[in-house]
Amino acid sequence: MDVNMLNPVLLSFKEILPQIGFQNVEKQKVSLLTSTFSYQGVILNIAMIGVIKGVILIGMEMEDAKKFASKMMMGMEVKEFDALAQSAISEMGNMVCANTCTQFTKIDVQGLDISPPTLMMSDGISKVTLPVPQIIAVDFLCDDIPVNIYVGFS
Amino acid sequence: MAIKVMIVDDSPFSRTLIADALREGGYEVVGEADSLEMALEVYNEQKPDVVTMDIAMPENDGFEVSRALLRNDPETKIILSSSMKDEETEIEAKRIGISGYVQKPIEAEALFDIIKKVLSPDLLFKDLMHEGLDIFKEALAQNITRMAKTPVDFAGNMDIEAPYISNGVTAVIGIIGQYSGTMLLDLSSETAEKLAGTILHREAKNTDEVLAMVSELANIIGGVACSMLNKREKAYKFRVSPPSMFHGNSAELVSPMVKIQKSLANTEFGEIFLGVGFKKGSTLWM
Repeated sequence: MDVNMLNPVLLSFKEILPQIGFQNVEKQKVSLLTSTFSYQGVILNIAMIGVIKGVILIGMEMEDAKKFASKMMMGMEVKEFDALAQSAISEMGNMVCANTCTQFTKIDVQGLDISPPTLMMSDGISKVTLPVPQIIAVDFLCDDIPVNIYVGFS
Repeated sequence: MAIKVMIVDDSPFSRTLIADALREGGYEVVGEADSLEMALEVYNEQKPDVVTMDIAMPENDGFEVSRALLRNDPETKIILSSSMKDEETEIEAKRIGISGYVQKPIEAEALFDIIKKVLSPDLLFKDLMHEGLDIFKEALAQNITRMAKTPVDFAGNMDIEAPYISNGVTAVIGIIGQYSGTMLLDLSSETAEKLAGTILHREAKNTDEVLAMVSELANIIGGVACSMLNKREKAYKFRVSPPSMFHGNSAELVSPMVKIQKSLANTEFGEIFLGVGFKKGSTLWM
């Protein structure tokens, strides 16, 4: 995967998060993974289809996902990761990925579209395998909430 | 009763032109707004049937105001009005869920026509909701029968209300086109292993091989079902993403933006869960 394809995703994330209530969005670490990685908590899957085909996943530990949803809902307490919190995280993913398509048009990659988000929630350690040889993982800290983004484009 | 329209535009001149045209056409103009806050206020007070939306506005643009209106009421029917007509505006409008588009300067007849279309029921979507799952079931049965030489029968169709708990191996495929959607295929590791063994004519060497087989099967089912749908109705223009595979531990699975219809396939290897859901967001681009 061409690392340049990562930039539109990062630009989008940094552009959208301040719009939904986050002040400090810091990129921590970028790493290259093989086609399988582990996650615990929640992970959002959104496919991107067009000239570029692939998937963007956004993962958080369960407690962090509750904090994230709470922040999106103007500080409303989120005790359980319920339908409202699930919807908030999905909406964030949808906005980030839709805006990623817009960022791609700026570098002349036109006509991309995204699928609706699917959210997986797991108590234990689960795994994700994508049909690409390499996945780029980017760790972010969003107002001290760790958020991991995984990008697998072919 | 006249159709109620609300106009969002920062230019008083444009608002007057649109309002005059609408009144002459027999529509009732129930409110006007030039900002996001005012648009929400007027919308909630007047509950218009349709909103016309300018793109270029000083504080929040038409996309931002549309997003806010749709968050406030997902059923809001918005017609975007702009002098620009490019692919990116169209795609952005579709993503947001804007219902239609009319080019500025607005011609009264074009506006009436698009209002009529936006308010008429989306028959294509109804058809898809009606036959979509059955087509995916047909694709699943056809391909499992072909690859594993075993018959498949199904339990009845149902909607998923509660979150679905996966059985261990889940393939998620994204779909784009006139509507966007998701296909889910879920089975236990044991079922996946037995299925892989039968298709490969030997025991699978490891988990990776089993996963690769389920991924390929999901890819084929999604691809075949979407081409069957595209053959029935060209306007669908469905395309699928490669599958993401989730495995290793049971997980709860939700798709908050689509209503997933599901079916259970019974095979000699065990049950295979099939879930399919689509969402609207189509734009009538005229």
